[in-house]
Amino acid sequence: MNLANLANNYEEAVAMLLFVIGFSNLLLQKNLIRKIIGLNIMDTAVYLFLALKGYIEGRKAPIVVDGVQSMEAYVNPIPSGLVLTGIVVSVSVSALMLALTIRLYRRYHTLDLDEITTRLKKEGL
Amino acid sequence: MDAWILLPVFLPVLAGVILLVSLAFEKRKNEREQPDKEPDEAQLQSLHRFVAAVLAVSAVLALAAAFTGEHSVTLFELLKGIPVYFHVDDISRLFAVVISVIWLVVAFYSFVYMKHEGKEQRFYGFYLIVYGVLMALSFAGNLVTMYLFYEIMTLTSMPLVLHNGSREAIMAALKYLFYSMCGAYLGLFGIFFLYKYCDTLTFTAGGTLNLELAQGNTWILLIAVFGMLVGFGAKAGMLPLHAWLPAAHPVAPSPASAVLSGVIAKAGVLAIIRVVFYVVGPDFLRGTWVQTAWMTLTLLTVFMGSMMAFREPVFKKRLAYSTVSQVSYILFGLSVLSPVGMTGALLHVVFHMVIKCALFLTAGIFIFQCGETRVEQFRGIGKQMPKTLWCYTFASLALIGIPPTSGFVSKWYLAQGALEAGVGVFGIVGPAVLLVSALLTAGYLLPITTSGFFPGGIVKHLGIEEKHRTDAAEEVSVRQSGQEDNSATQVDAGRAAGQDAAETAKAGKVTKGGAVESDAKAPSLEPVPEMLIPLVILAALAVLLGLFPNPLIGFAGKIAGSVL
Amino acid sequence: MEFVQNFPFFSILLSLFSGPLCSVIGGKAARRVNLAVITAVGAMSAAVLNFTIRSGEAYVYLMGHFPAPWGNEIRVGVLEALMALFFCVVMFLSMIGGSLERALEIEEGKENLYYVMVNLLLSSLLALIYTNDLFTAYVFVEINTISACGLIMIRQNGRTIEAATRYMIMSLLGSGLLLLGICFLYDMTGHLLMSNIKEQVQILHATGDYHIPLLVTVSLMSVGIAIKSALYPFHAWLPDAYGYSTLSSAAILSSLVSKGYIFLLVKIFYRVIGFDIVRDSKIVNVLFAFGVVGMIMGSVSAIKEGNVRRMIAYSSVAQIGYIYMGFGIGTTAGVIASLYHILSHAATKSLLFVAASGLTDASGDSTSFFDLTGAGYRNKLAGVAFTVGSLSMVGFPMFSGFISKLLFAQAAVDSAYYKMLPALIALALSTILNAVYFMKTVIRIYTPADREEVKRRGFRNVTVTDQKAKSVALVCFIALNLALGLSSEPVVRLLREGLNLFA
Repeated sequence: MNLANLANNYEEAVAMLLFVIGFSNLLLQKNLIRKIIGLNIMDTAVYLFLALKGYIEGRKAPIVVDGVQSMEAYVNPIPSGLVLTGIVVSVSVSALMLALTIRLYRRYHTLDLDEITTRLKKEGL
Repeated sequence: MDAWILLPVFLPVLAGVILLVSLAFEKRKNEREQPDKEPDEAQLQSLHRFVAAVLAVSAVLALAAAFTGEHSVTLFELLKGIPVYFHVDDISRLFAVVISVIWLVVAFYSFVYMKHEGKEQRFYGFYLIVYGVLMALSFAGNLVTMYLFYEIMTLTSMPLVLHNGSREAIMAALKYLFYSMCGAYLGLFGIFFLYKYCDTLTFTAGGTLNLELAQGNTWILLIAVFGMLVGFGAKAGMLPLHAWLPAAHPVAPSPASAVLSGVIAKAGVLAIIRVVFYVVGPDFLRGTWVQTAWMTLTLLTVFMGSMMAFREPVFKKRLAYSTVSQVSYILFGLSVLSPVGMTGALLHVVFHMVIKCALFLTAGIFIFQCGETRVEQFRGIGKQMPKTLWCYTFASLALIGIPPTSGFVSKWYLAQGALEAGVGVFGIVGPAVLLVSALLTAGYLLPITTSGFFPGGIVKHLGIEEKHRTDAAEEVSVRQSGQEDNSATQVDAGRAAGQDAAETAKAGKVTKGGAVESDAKAPSLEPVPEMLIPLVILAALAVLLGLFPNPLIGFAGKIAGSVL
Repeated sequence: MEFVQNFPFFSILLSLFSGPLCSVIGGKAARRVNLAVITAVGAMSAAVLNFTIRSGEAYVYLMGHFPAPWGNEIRVGVLEALMALFFCVVMFLSMIGGSLERALEIEEGKENLYYVMVNLLLSSLLALIYTNDLFTAYVFVEINTISACGLIMIRQNGRTIEAATRYMIMSLLGSGLLLLGICFLYDMTGHLLMSNIKEQVQILHATGDYHIPLLVTVSLMSVGIAIKSALYPFHAWLPDAYGYSTLSSAAILSSLVSKGYIFLLVKIFYRVIGFDIVRDSKIVNVLFAFGVVGMIMGSVSAIKEGNVRRMIAYSSVAQIGYIYMGFGIGTTAGVIASLYHILSHAATKSLLFVAASGLTDASGDSTSFFDLTGAGYRNKLAGVAFTVGSLSMVGFPMFSGFISKLLFAQAAVDSAYYKMLPALIALALSTILNAVYFMKTVIRIYTPADREEVKRRGFRNVTVTDQKAKSVALVCFIALNLALGLSSEPVVRLLREGLNLFA
């Protein structure tokens, strides 16, 4: 592993960097909204990675406008499909998380999950 | 097909389950119609007949299975290569026969006794089930089958302990469950190792350990075997897992205590015999630290049990401690790993079963007739129930080991075995401890005889008798309400039996201190024949087996010779 | 192609579409639809199981018209059908066992939403079991997470929402890692179908190319699924989620949801990567270590817990530890033991949850350990059932837990010393710890309670006829436990055959 290798694959490196940023935010942030942002960064990183893998330099999107050309003319369409599916999933998950956050905020007027836990313990429910 | 040898297992279990299920249904019916209906006499009669019939048929079948040669049957495969497998060999024979006899005798005794405790149907239900499970345990042909029924035995015998439902009984029963399960798990983990290092888990005389495989792994196997000894020793009341026994045996109804101490404690012995002589092989253990530790533990238990019994004032507890001590005699005989020692151990298995049952039945009669539990209250009791006390005395003499009773024979072999086994210092320490313990045994059993027959001079007799009655009356009055109900049942029982003796007993007991009949002759407290006869049979067996021990010695010697 | 081969596809679709159906009909109708769907799926799975046993081989079912490597596939063998059938049985029993609590604890007018979630959960579990496509698996993992979250928060109180949030966060971390692993695999092999990936992975392994990325991928996916299935130390959300959600949710979550993920992990090990490669990658050793620690720590936490529902929940942590320990042993015997434990634990844990709720019903709805004093007398069936469940957990012969302990130990003694000793010691320790807290509870429920206290607090007796549905569920669970414990041999044989067909 040397620097040249890293420089050649800088897109992947960026994707991984983003993933780590998102992951650690989701894991470490106390604020729920920041956690959700972290989640979205993480998912986006994966989509970036996927999109990179599908892209082949110098080819077009596989949309047939002027007659079918040879297979070599298009990029791989499957990763794009995966990204779309993934986006749908991540949108629904984010929506659910936001809904939960609203519920919690209405009840406890804070976005700090640990504080909510301490309060729950105090309530002794 | 040899599948019929399972009949003595399934028949009592099925009958027991029927009793329990019908009990549940009757209860629901009664709740709707008449909530507080006691079972009437006719119902009880038919219950007794049913139980007796089932037990007799099963016992006959068990004897038939035991005495008609080798049988084996595979029930089903629990896991691949681990079948539930039954096989009748000499050890099975020995245990099955003695257990069947004892179980039948004690059943007849309990028909009278259990009227005093109530909830007969539940008791007999579990009593039958445990019998079936014990037969399965005796006939088990491999280690896993044995373990299976060992655990089931623990679970099904637990209701016998908690029969009267008092807080103390429930705590004792749970203590029993907890110790037994912990012990059994130690055994189970040993089984895992043996499964790997043995050719087969099927019982084979002399062991099935694959020495090539075990090469280099002996240390871990030794630890595993030691764990199994300690674990299965829990049931036999061996140190360090003995604490449940003095708690659980005394709180059970006396017939249950008798079989718990006499028979179920021996299940631990059976398990250890199976592990050491039929799976691991005695040669593997000889001279290792495991043997040394095992001998040390048994001797400590022998001594400690006797000491505790000596100091214990409650009669049934004293007997329970005595069980702790005596069962470890057996384990000591096994631990020296010599044929003579093992012969002695097997003889002691039989003799102790008979004797300890006789002793607990005596304790039951004392409780049933006078409601007394503490040793110092039995002064002068020999005047009122001489037959009972004579039976007790013979059984005690046998347990102490005074010739020509049975205990002498087994102890002779145990000591001989220790001396000739070549176990170094234990060859001397062992017999010495046995001797000291025998003296202690005399010390804790015989005072009841002496003070029972000779309460301290004829002149003083009446006065002491008076005081004794006062104590009894107080005892009755302070006992808990539940037990007072029982004494009422007992009175009913006496009346129903139409026994003058029992009537007098009632008069002697429920009248308060001053109002005792001023007869110069102490009233007879002798129990009804149905209770006395089982006791007489057992006491007679305890003596007769000592007078004519040769067939039994031959049989035990044959078993010992086959594995050592 | 026989008609019965369509059934896996039908059952996924049926449960998926009955979800939206439930959202537009009323609560009671939704309940009936839900039970009917579970029954139908169970019946179909039984038919499929029968078919696969007879044919003796796994078959591939095309979803749509594209053959491999482009199309989406379902792959059905003995193991898949067995799991599907078993999951249906447990889910059915949990649903009828918890019907009383649902009526009380779910807000008026929201019952049908609950059944939406259950149906979706069922469909996602089925899809996880049957699918042969990694990305489909990922999508259904997320659906599973979302519907499980719904099951937790349907009972509205602070605890459940907090637990649901924590659950979501942990799950999202896990699925992020899983997704990344899937993308790496796709990158390296160019396939999404499991069988095709395996071919390529075998080639890569043989040539030694991409050794480190492959290792990283396996680790990512294993850790991701471990997080999702609450392997110690990722279990923080679990006690609250199981302890405060409504009864049928707790039973389903503990016995099925985490097991679905674990089944996916088995699939990844066997069908995507190849178990020998996984074993060589040493990732199993990490799982082993976490499993062993989880076995002990879960039990220790359970001992310290004073709330009986949470205690049972902590015991789940320990049991998940067992399952990972079995994978970690790294032999097929270990995996079979784990698979059997999935069944055994599912049957036992849901039994315990339902029985515990029966006991708390008889103790003024208090889950506090001390209030359960004497509850075994006030609700006899629940007392017996709890005792059976506890004995099974402790590993008493006759019950299923004993067989799984036996299988684990068999697997352990056949492995190398450095795994055998920790495994056996952990088994022994955790058995004793289990015995401590379960027997403690059994003792507690059979300790006669103070009569005054019972009268003052108004504890009522619960008879079998008071709670018919729950009683039926309890009896069935007990029977299931006994069946697994006494006739384990056919089940283990099926698992073994199924695992052979799996690769």
